[in-house]
Amino acid sequence: MLAAKKVVFHLVSVAVLLLGFAQFSVAGVVSSGDMINAELRGERIAKVEALLAEAEVAGQLEKMGVSTELVLSRVNNLTDMELLELSTGIDEQIAGADIVSVVGVVFIVLLILELVGVTDIFKSF
Amino acid sequence: MTRFPGRGRFWAILVIAFFCLGGCVSIPNRIAELPAEQSSVELDSTPFYPQERYQCGPAALTTVLSFSGVDAALDTITGLTYIPERKGSLQSELLATARSFERIPYRIEGTLSALAAELTAGRPVLVLQNLGVSWYPRWHYAVVVGIDVATGKLTLRSGTDRRRVIDSEVFLRTWQRGSYWAIVLLRPGELPARPDRDTYLTAVADFESVAHSQATTLAWEAALQYWPRDPLALFGKASVAFQQGRLEEAEQNYRLLLADDPDMYAARNNLAYALARQGRVTEGIEELNKLLGRVAADDPFREEYEASLRELESLTGQ
Repeated sequence: MLAAKKVVFHLVSVAVLLLGFAQFSVAGVVSSGDMINAELRGERIAKVEALLAEAEVAGQLEKMGVSTELVLSRVNNLTDMELLELSTGIDEQIAGADIVSVVGVVFIVLLILELVGVTDIFKSF
Repeated sequence: MTRFPGRGRFWAILVIAFFCLGGCVSIPNRIAELPAEQSSVELDSTPFYPQERYQCGPAALTTVLSFSGVDAALDTITGLTYIPERKGSLQSELLATARSFERIPYRIEGTLSALAAELTAGRPVLVLQNLGVSWYPRWHYAVVVGIDVATGKLTLRSGTDRRRVIDSEVFLRTWQRGSYWAIVLLRPGELPARPDRDTYLTAVADFESVAHSQATTLAWEAALQYWPRDPLALFGKASVAFQQGRLEEAEQNYRLLLADDPDMYAARNNLAYALARQGRVTEGIEELNKLLGRVAADDPFREEYEASLRELESLTGQ
């Protein structure tokens, strides 16, 4: 838990640092990522927003059992757009998992659905 | 009505009702609708990584990564994509991990014919299925490696089955419930079987945020071969050149863009930097003044352009 806090602290402090700089306006080159996001996705993501999202996602991943040393490389791999999406709640995302623990009436219903070719749960086990 | 008396009728209604719950949605694409020239194909050399419990995402990703020549262990991929408490993997983390291994994940169109076209081009397709129903979802990642146009069957690396053969109708229902999500992994420089400009350019822009410049350049060049003089692809190529310090090449490409469209402000802004970095600060300032005289007040990058001007002007003051 202490480690989890550390990662989040690290990310938040970078974000806050940048917030300070943002007042001076970050001059510079327009990256192709920014350009394409603006042109094709109609989106502009402020760097600060992305960093805060990164901290949020890191915190969530830690809480969900991802080891501390992997959390940083995992959030680094994500694009700003993905970080923003995930920051609203990893819980709401689809996570491929495929478990089967079916009981009672649900089992009967699923069995029927399976027989008529709607579902494909049981054959894979 | 007399056909279903009593209990029989009850069961018939139940079956129909649940069938509808499961999705009485017409499936628009079927084997019969594949283009006539599509023949059967099976990528038999696709490796197989039998999944551990819940870990279909890492297994499916390792399968396609390894097929495209990436030497990645299943354990490594599991560490990067599996979320213990969710007992599963997120789509975005599968994409992100593929990028971190120098592959461009490209989401193909969600049709059987697009899927078949990729198989024919020699790329297995990673798909998201919902094996259950909307109210009882069983999300599952698998890799489609073959299609048999005669029997209408698909072959998948799925779960603990090395060669799972499944009827295309059933597959399409499970795939539809996964929003027809399917990706292939492109090596930098490779294009998908049916390139869609916006999808490809967005995929490369996402790739660029983690990839080496060399790999990104290859990807932009592939786009430029297919869509010659595409402004966004050329902008991408110019930007990589700039980052790598190939300033003359960057300048040339920005000028090409401006020749085609003098109002591509981002190109003029970056041209100013390319000039300044070559010691031609005054020329750069001229470009920025030209730009700011024309750019709209609500342009999304206006603030950047103004900041650029301040930055270059501060250089002349020193």
